[in-house]
Amino acid sequence: MSTTTRGPIPNGGGLMRRLNLGTAILTGFIFAFIGWYIAGKVFGFGDGPDNSWGRDRVWIITMSLWAIGFMTGIGAFVGPVRWVMGKDQSFEDQMYLAGKNQGISRYFKFTTDHKVVGVQYLIVTMLLFFVGGILAMLIRTDLISKNTEIFGSQTYNAVVGLHGIIMIIATIIMVTGPFGNFVVPIMIGARDMAFPRLNALSLWLIASVVPILLSAVFLGGIPTGWSAYEPLGLQAPPGMDSYLMTIIIFAISSGVAGANIVTTVVKMRARGMTWNRTPIFVYGVVASVGLAIPAFPTFMASQVMSGFDRAAGGVFFDTAAGGNDWLYTNLFWLMGHPEVYVILIPGLAAMMEYLPVFVRKPLFNFNAAVLGIAGIVGLSVMVWAHHMYMTGWAPNLNAPFMLTTELISVPTGMLFLVFIGTLWRGRVWARLPMLAVYAMLWNFIIGGLTGIYLSDVPVDVALHGSMYVTAHFHYTLMGGAFVGAMGAVMYWFPKMTGRMFDEKIGAWGFWISQIGFNVTFLGMFAVGLAGQPRRVSSYSSLFATGNLVSSIGAYTIFTGMLIFLAAIIHSWTSGEIAPANPWGAKTLEWQVPTPVPLENFEVLPVITSDPYGYGVPDRLLEPIREPVHTGDHS
Amino acid sequence: MSEHLDDQLEAQLPADKFRAWTKRPYIRHVFLIWLGLTILFEIFGPVQAHLMGAPASEAMKAIEDTMSLFTYTAAPVAALVISVVLYSIFGWRQPKGAGPSNESPAIKTNGPVTTAWVVISSLLCVFLLIWGLGEMNSLAPRNNGVKPLVIDAIGNQWVWTFKYPDNGNIESNQLYMPKDQPVVFHVSSVDVVHSLWIVQLGVKIDANPERVTLAHVTPTVIGRFDVRCAELCGLYHAHMQTNAVVVSPDDFNTWVANGGHA
Amino acid sequence: MKRVFTALITVLLGASLIFGIASYLHLSSLQNPPVVATIDGTAQTAQGILPHAYISLSTYPDSLAGEHGPSGGVHPDWVSYGPSTDITLPAHSLVTMTITQYDSGEVLNNPYFAHVWGTVATPGDGTADGQMLLDGQPVSEVDPEHIGHTFTLHDLTSPSQDSLFVSVPLPAVDDSLMPDTGYTNTPHVITFSFITGGAGHYIWNCEYPCGDGTYKKFGDVMAARAFMSGTVTVA
Repeated sequence: MSTTTRGPIPNGGGLMRRLNLGTAILTGFIFAFIGWYIAGKVFGFGDGPDNSWGRDRVWIITMSLWAIGFMTGIGAFVGPVRWVMGKDQSFEDQMYLAGKNQGISRYFKFTTDHKVVGVQYLIVTMLLFFVGGILAMLIRTDLISKNTEIFGSQTYNAVVGLHGIIMIIATIIMVTGPFGNFVVPIMIGARDMAFPRLNALSLWLIASVVPILLSAVFLGGIPTGWSAYEPLGLQAPPGMDSYLMTIIIFAISSGVAGANIVTTVVKMRARGMTWNRTPIFVYGVVASVGLAIPAFPTFMASQVMSGFDRAAGGVFFDTAAGGNDWLYTNLFWLMGHPEVYVILIPGLAAMMEYLPVFVRKPLFNFNAAVLGIAGIVGLSVMVWAHHMYMTGWAPNLNAPFMLTTELISVPTGMLFLVFIGTLWRGRVWARLPMLAVYAMLWNFIIGGLTGIYLSDVPVDVALHGSMYVTAHFHYTLMGGAFVGAMGAVMYWFPKMTGRMFDEKIGAWGFWISQIGFNVTFLGMFAVGLAGQPRRVSSYSSLFATGNLVSSIGAYTIFTGMLIFLAAIIHSWTSGEIAPANPWGAKTLEWQVPTPVPLENFEVLPVITSDPYGYGVPDRLLEPIREPVHTGDHS
Repeated sequence: MSEHLDDQLEAQLPADKFRAWTKRPYIRHVFLIWLGLTILFEIFGPVQAHLMGAPASEAMKAIEDTMSLFTYTAAPVAALVISVVLYSIFGWRQPKGAGPSNESPAIKTNGPVTTAWVVISSLLCVFLLIWGLGEMNSLAPRNNGVKPLVIDAIGNQWVWTFKYPDNGNIESNQLYMPKDQPVVFHVSSVDVVHSLWIVQLGVKIDANPERVTLAHVTPTVIGRFDVRCAELCGLYHAHMQTNAVVVSPDDFNTWVANGGHA
Repeated sequence: MKRVFTALITVLLGASLIFGIASYLHLSSLQNPPVVATIDGTAQTAQGILPHAYISLSTYPDSLAGEHGPSGGVHPDWVSYGPSTDITLPAHSLVTMTITQYDSGEVLNNPYFAHVWGTVATPGDGTADGQMLLDGQPVSEVDPEHIGHTFTLHDLTSPSQDSLFVSVPLPAVDDSLMPDTGYTNTPHVITFSFITGGAGHYIWNCEYPCGDGTYKKFGDVMAARAFMSGTVTVA
């Protein structure tokens, strides 16, 4: 936790040292209450015909003030405020912000150390997955039998939308958040991010979003699906205000994080780390956050417009008043399709990163991997309207969008080549993270190929809006990307927590969840082909067997995931103490001690070879790096 | 052992090298697994078409045929990935309890394999595209001198209603259509976005408020089919469904004469 | 051993969490007990002699007398059906439903629902197939600009249950007759009959847009269960 002491940190030192998660929540509540009370007095608390916008105004103001209060209370504005008052931070202040000598409490503060931020992201991600998973189980519980209305369609619809948006946010941050922050700076030989305070800002913005998103539970839910198509969204209860505030703040957070990570990787790689020697995981993270930078602002814009429609009498999407529902659909999918690759690429890249470690072979055709990722990123911004073949918007554009969508199978195929080429003739060290790669390949080939069916315009006539689509994207995002994230957790666990991941319990959890996953979604493919629409609270007796199978599968996934969670908890609290490099990996994060000291490196490394020099006899092995003393950076 | 084989191969002709390569045990094993899996995965072609039910129009038949064709094409690709996965698990894995290997071959890349992979996947992609375009072209509505029957399909929150402007504006909650008569749907909505889905006829088009979208079909089978809504439209989206009834032209005329009562 | 224990505890806690939330949601979704149609004698219909069942519902301009009890629940100012929105009907019977309509109203989104659909003649009151009895007069359609509510029972496509589609308009009570408090003394009374098939589960809802202040007036009360929509169980 500390390397060398640079003199005592003075006690006191202002308000900054008294702020933490507790003060953040307190300030957030105070601000939110004041906002709610004043807005309610001005605009009216009630709903009804005389006050159609007032209710939404009150909630949007309340949520905005919660976020501002929370960020104030955590200390996000301390830096700018002190700067404008001419009292910039001293070295001691910066060391305090980095969490020096604060033990566990630094995880509950506006801490700038990228490793602390990474762990905080991991906790937030797991929390979101837990809630989203519970909601998924409620969905499958309601669908066990066709006629028993266990909750009824109103609750069902509210739950489906919440499950969707929570899982989308969780999967977007699940790799680039925890590992992009914890691992990437060490992997490239940097002492921290380029902008450590922006790093903390992006994390705490997401933390402030979690209660806003969950407030939808008490405000009528999000009964529109996660896509919140307009004008249906205009009919929805104030849960939609939670949704749109979540998206707006989340887009700010992801923009900040993206700029930070891209800058860090471009400017702060160690000496000698040419692009050819930069690990593939770094490419994956940069591709993901870099793709989010152009993609999310359109989503944010659509939600700002939707907020104007709901609370201020705007008519962007109110078709009856001259608004345009297709404008929303386009803005949404301009984000929506790049977004699936924002989720997918880092998950696959994490697996490409550690696959050579367990196969003890170089990554097969590193250049193809880079080119595949780049190709996906490039094409992904040109395919959005394949979600709109059936909307009636510009039917003449269906063919060009079919072309771009099918083209994306070529760079995706290159990534498959990288995986099976690396496996080829490799003597596999079959640890659990390695086995997860096999599971991912099985799932992702199914998810990828079913995507090709959907790209075909005539076939999409039969499958669009059906359970087939639901099964397809769960195979890619859950079977592909999420399994990649599970692998990443297992692989980097020893470095992040200082303890080994319990592969015995972990394996039970992992394989039970994988079997359940395939049962659930193969069943869903079947009912989708037979004609069951998505997002239905009730279904024809035609689909009874398939839905029962899916629900049984879902309970199996849930059991498996809980066991996996238990493995994480057990390993984190009382697992075996991990050595610095348990896998014998060659990337930089494994060459530093565990726990990783503040600022990571005593001496910045110099890179002299690529990170995947496995399988070469020892006598031929070049030294990976030669420590060069760069002097104390202070 | 294979390392030595590689060394020996250096000086030989390409054809001989290839023949020697095919004689390697792991090549044969992977090939056999691939062959078995390909045959297994091909089964999903007819299975998918079976699950989609008997088609009741040319369009639906074309869709099911395309599903099958894509499956036949995709099965060898999936089988290739999975066969390498299986052989990696059962053939190349280190024995249980052994640590990481020092003996994996240091293959950094392979130019011909990469080239072949990219070329083949691009060709498959081009094939998909050409097939899709051809299919879209063959399914495009044609004016063969037959005036299509116009049916206005109107999405209301949670009920479909149909109006027959060519037949005295009669209205119905069920979709009656004569067999073998081209039909054009003028689809709209009085509230939010719905999606008209006639499952066995291969028709799907969104119903948008303040707009009219078009869909074409010629029913070829007499029977009762499913109309659903394929776009979440609120509280009773799941129940927004009705029957499509395809009848003989005579029966259709009788139905019209009865003012839309069966 | 400890880790197995941790795993078991986690699974048990997770399972009980799901069970708890699901039970809570289930219990909180329960409404008043369903209105059950009472069979009284038989009736001659086009399908032969069938049991004749009777059922009565009302529509109110608020929620104080209907489904949500005397307090009106969370939204006492929302319009509602009563005494319950869940209805139980006998299979293979002639059902005569009487709806007492106390609410005012305006124009429909789709004039289709101003027509009477799917009804048969009620024995003895002078109506024919496709008509309903409105305040003693047989009618087959009413003014689509002056609708209070509709009762629209959805046709579902299902191989396991019969087709059943009934939709009747409930004309609006004139605004001049709507009192400031309480209910009008001159409600519309609508009576209509239809024939049920075999057992099945159906949905009905009101097709008149009652959600004032929302897009196409289909938000709020229209987007919530058990105000202007409900279930029909044919048993």
